[in-house]
Amino acid sequence: MKINDNCVGCGQCASFCNKEAIDVKGKARTTAACVECGICVLYCPVKAIEVSL
Amino acid sequence: MKAIVIGAGLGGLLSAARLSQAGYQVDVFERLPITGGRFTNLNYKGFQVSSGAFHILPHGPSGPLAQLLNEVQADVKIVRSSQTVVRVPLKQGDPDYGKGFKDISFTDFATLLSYKERLKIALLIVSTRKNRPSGSTLQAWLRTQFKDEWLVKFADSFCGWALSLRSDEVSVEEVFEIIENMYRFGGPGVPMGGCKGVIDSLERVIAVNGGKIYTKTEVSKILVENGRASGVIVGDKTHEANLIISNLGHAATASLCSEVLSGDRYSGYLRMLETLKPSAGIKICLAADEPLVGNSGVLLTPYAKRVNGIDEVTQVDPKLAPPGKHLTMSHQHVAPENVKNLDSEIELGLKDLKEIFPGKKYEVLLIQSYHDDWPVNRAASGTDPGNETPIPELYVVGDGAKGKGGIEVEGVALGVAATMKKILG
Repeated sequence: MKINDNCVGCGQCASFCNKEAIDVKGKARTTAACVECGICVLYCPVKAIEVSL
Repeated sequence: MKAIVIGAGLGGLLSAARLSQAGYQVDVFERLPITGGRFTNLNYKGFQVSSGAFHILPHGPSGPLAQLLNEVQADVKIVRSSQTVVRVPLKQGDPDYGKGFKDISFTDFATLLSYKERLKIALLIVSTRKNRPSGSTLQAWLRTQFKDEWLVKFADSFCGWALSLRSDEVSVEEVFEIIENMYRFGGPGVPMGGCKGVIDSLERVIAVNGGKIYTKTEVSKILVENGRASGVIVGDKTHEANLIISNLGHAATASLCSEVLSGDRYSGYLRMLETLKPSAGIKICLAADEPLVGNSGVLLTPYAKRVNGIDEVTQVDPKLAPPGKHLTMSHQHVAPENVKNLDSEIELGLKDLKEIFPGKKYEVLLIQSYHDDWPVNRAASGTDPGNETPIPELYVVGDGAKGKGGIEVEGVALGVAATMKKILG
């Protein structure tokens, strides 16, 4: 997943991630556990997450 | 009569509940898959952390939000918290909590002042009821009246906690409005089930009244016909309405009807929008096996470097955490110039928490920050431009259009109540 500069670090994505693959501290970052399922994209309130192909 | 509500945050759902109760046919369009905006629960590792606002109603079971919930017959229980306390160093004059601390009652803040300054406060309490101070920031006003820095620290911690502003960022008028409301409505309370307890109760009201909520539904345009709001566009479909309520704040609402607003007669409104500044903050959620605060009251921390206040919501509703666990949340204001340094602001907050809870065992569950397009407040408290827009039948509600003196969600409720009064009479 690519997380752009819109990210404010609210952590909403992390709470909906099924793989506990998002760390949040000022900004969200995906970890190696990310499987690119894209669920977080739907829940981001500021359109900060893009599926990287 | 048909009403469309854009955004299913607290302001949107309160409006939808009231309008559907009054007989409007109401559709709520929400872009995200969940409702509640920055006032709902997020399940994180079994804890019900909040999506934005704390699980708190600043004026509890008798405040403006509780009154509006009661008016629309929303079924949610709000429990009054115990007295707000203020943590101060054990020895007066110490700069921090390093050498020990004690907690004093919020209403006893003046006991830390000299006899002369306490007398002055007593006089001001009487005189300011008739002649409200105005024309300066709270901090500037305090400095003209008192020499004691404690009062500025205390004011910073209260304003940081309640408004996510420093005392030099908020007008003294707004603060006196807030103090008036504290006398009128009383102190904080916690809704059972947290923020989502309130949201769920509103959704039930809307459903009973025949209203519909559509999630994953993004409005791309607000339509204006003959100078009046007439509907919205979702995807390639037009939805007509007699009334549009936007829960997106003034700026984002204006961008949905930018073509109409580009005319000369709206330039004043557009210029005003540019002056609106969102307020920023950081919330640190702690998980612990033992209570960290130990009671249901807000703990203000004026001698911390960044953290303004802390609340332990599981003291009221243990179901907000897994069995036997506690959920404790701290809030810290982030000054505009520090939004770009969030990492170091977070580190300062974490360091504060270690000093506030020495020797206690806890886990940092989640750190959440709010600024810019997903802020603490879309318009800093006291600068709200009201609920009307230059386009008739288009209103703005939510934290970008609150009522005067309304702390956080109480302000959202005051703004919705004022809007409904304009519409329904």
